[in-house]
Amino acid sequence: MRVFITGVGVISSIGLGKDAFWKALAEGKSGISPVEAFDTSNLGRSNAGEVKAFHPRDHLSAAEVRRMGRCSQMALAAARMAITDAALPEGALSGPRASVVLGTTMGEAGVLEDLDHAWIAKGLPGVRRAWIPKYGSTLLPIHVARAIGAEGSVLTLPAACAAGNYAIGLACDLIRAGKADVIVTGAAEMLQELQYSGFVRLAAMAPTKCQPFDLNRQGLILGEGAGILVVESEAHAVRRNARVLAEVGGHGMTCDAYHITRPHPEAAGSIGAMRQAIERSGLQPDAVDFVNAHGTGTKHNDAAESKVMRDVFGDRKVPISSMKSMLGHCMGAASALEAIGCLMTLETGIYPPTIGYETPDPECDVDVVANEARKGKADIVLNNSLAFGGYNSVTCLARPGKLPAPKETTA
Amino acid sequence: MKPRAITGLGITSALGTGSTETLAALAAPSSPATATARTPIASFDASSYEDPPIVEVPGFDPTKYLGDKGLRTLDRLTKLLVVAARLSLHDAGLKKDGQWAALAPERVGVCCSNAYGSLEAITELDRVAVLEDARYINPAKFPNTVSNSASGYVSIWEDLRALNVSVSDGNCGALDAIACADIFLETGRAEAILTGGGEAMSEALFLAFDKLRVLGTNGTGARIGEGAAFLVLEPLELAKARGAKVLATITGYGTSFIAPKDDVTLLFSSSEALERAIKNALDDAGITASDVDLVVSGVSGIARFDDEERTAIGKVLGSSVPVTAPKQVFGETLGAGGALGMAAALACLDGSAPACLVSGSAPAKVDTVLVTSVGYYGNASAVVVTRGS
Repeated sequence: MRVFITGVGVISSIGLGKDAFWKALAEGKSGISPVEAFDTSNLGRSNAGEVKAFHPRDHLSAAEVRRMGRCSQMALAAARMAITDAALPEGALSGPRASVVLGTTMGEAGVLEDLDHAWIAKGLPGVRRAWIPKYGSTLLPIHVARAIGAEGSVLTLPAACAAGNYAIGLACDLIRAGKADVIVTGAAEMLQELQYSGFVRLAAMAPTKCQPFDLNRQGLILGEGAGILVVESEAHAVRRNARVLAEVGGHGMTCDAYHITRPHPEAAGSIGAMRQAIERSGLQPDAVDFVNAHGTGTKHNDAAESKVMRDVFGDRKVPISSMKSMLGHCMGAASALEAIGCLMTLETGIYPPTIGYETPDPECDVDVVANEARKGKADIVLNNSLAFGGYNSVTCLARPGKLPAPKETTA
Repeated sequence: MKPRAITGLGITSALGTGSTETLAALAAPSSPATATARTPIASFDASSYEDPPIVEVPGFDPTKYLGDKGLRTLDRLTKLLVVAARLSLHDAGLKKDGQWAALAPERVGVCCSNAYGSLEAITELDRVAVLEDARYINPAKFPNTVSNSASGYVSIWEDLRALNVSVSDGNCGALDAIACADIFLETGRAEAILTGGGEAMSEALFLAFDKLRVLGTNGTGARIGEGAAFLVLEPLELAKARGAKVLATITGYGTSFIAPKDDVTLLFSSSEALERAIKNALDDAGITASDVDLVVSGVSGIARFDDEERTAIGKVLGSSVPVTAPKQVFGETLGAGGALGMAAALACLDGSAPACLVSGSAPAKVDTVLVTSVGYYGNASAVVVTRGS
């Protein structure tokens, strides 16, 4: 059974909504700026892809804003955009055949911070009881499902920096297995002080900008946001005469089982995930037109990813680019936002650039779409992600009609 | 769903470490609640709390199972999960004396539920950030704050490379992990998947539930618990083909969500969600209500959820169906809850008299068990498990 993406919603540092997001990506606009959410003056780093233009009340009721943390607020706002974009009529997401599957790294990290800080600074009486049930990454899909009326599976996949791809992959598997007709999926993540400090202390954060694949890259820059997609079975989409943005092909998942923060130096797991995504789409590597890189801008990641490209594609240099040069690393939300960028590439034939690319790195011998967007063939693209815990995940996205008929799966 | 063989079980729980110990303790004729050793709280300094209503894994010593190297920076949640994983792999015969004995590491994956992550690690670093300065937080401890860290360590320690999928859905998560594993087996992503979950005791976890005023007092009511359990799931035919022992077979899963009515906290209990989940699970298994010999419920001692759960069970399966509540022994272990419920079901399928019976009378035979869980936000899940193969 084919699975289609029929609507998307975006909360990002470079724009709200698909159109603003894509315009900024194609123009190479950076969303990196000094952090305002918390004091960074003692940390030696101050930049992030912070979403400053998100005003929850533009998207949510006052009651909704009150009862959810920032992460859920962004998820629900993006979900509403995606549902509008999909032109789903009122009630189309009600009932047991609609599900919500979302990814995140930390979920409501800000709620926990408030609870923890109150407890540590003022003792237990300082903790607001009504805030306790607002914590937990499980709440993201609960809030969304409650708002849209979905009554099927309501799941959170905490898969760190690959969470978006994991959620999209499971959502498509659920549809292919006949467990749901339509699923609101994607991921959300908020910038938060402990997380920010942690990346600084791991010496993983660049001083000012993120320069994926550059010889002098100095690390990642954190970001935040939400990328939400409506995925539907072919039958459901055809029945309601939906506009199809893209078809989801195969999805690859592996685990390095090597190190909690570093990718495997030989990238075996990551190579395996990319091969799975291609094979499960019924394709050969030569069908792939463009790869959206995980491209965090750390030494280890970009070198490992370049190995993957060489191993999977051989001498053919498939264009590759990293949106993290503009968005920063939006952690759990990253691969969901990037999936949306990928389907815009399919629609427009434009590869978004990797900005800040100055000096080629012999260790990253790949065809980087440097600094300026590039026009090219865009029938089949891969969205690559690697994550903390050695989680690897790759999703294949295709222009409608460009994938072979899916094979029936067997156990 | 297609039948999924349970070929191995590994547990760290209030009844000890190791599936044999746990199942034996569950089968003991004396009340398991009294069999739980009263040991001092080990996971945090509890000296300022008088008899806190919490349940720990007694005398948990990971070095006995993992050696003493590489444990220093791991948190309690990770150690509970890795020990359970190692035990389950050996119980399933996939490993012997630490070495692979069947299947390849590329074909074995993990599907692991957890509700709240490592509150221990997050709180420890938050303490440094608040009382000193965020620039002094220990980078070696920072990875533990990430929600999927413990699950990732399971793959690292046990070399499980097929896939690792973490699931978060409160106390329904471990049953939902079974549904995810089923799909991953169906799509050929792995030949065996360690499926289960874990939750670790911490001061923050205890205080959160205590502050919500849902825990019991004077030895009655709900206790918050900890533990981890993994079932090794394989497609039944493949398990038989490799000559694995089949402890039991999972044949059905159902879930449902009813939007919370409460506009402030979203805490919501509804019998309707579980009624639907149970019906879906029975349909999925191709059985009827009368085929269910026993229900292993998620009843934990929190009245507003217990009442709805028992109402739903009664409505779908009738008022005479025997219902157990293993959380009386294990405590409410959240992300691990459904996995420990599955362990309790296995004990009964293996012939033990049902422990923690809260309604009905002990059945003469137990061939089919329904395991249920009601979440705190309107969600509910159920799994059907049957004897042998």
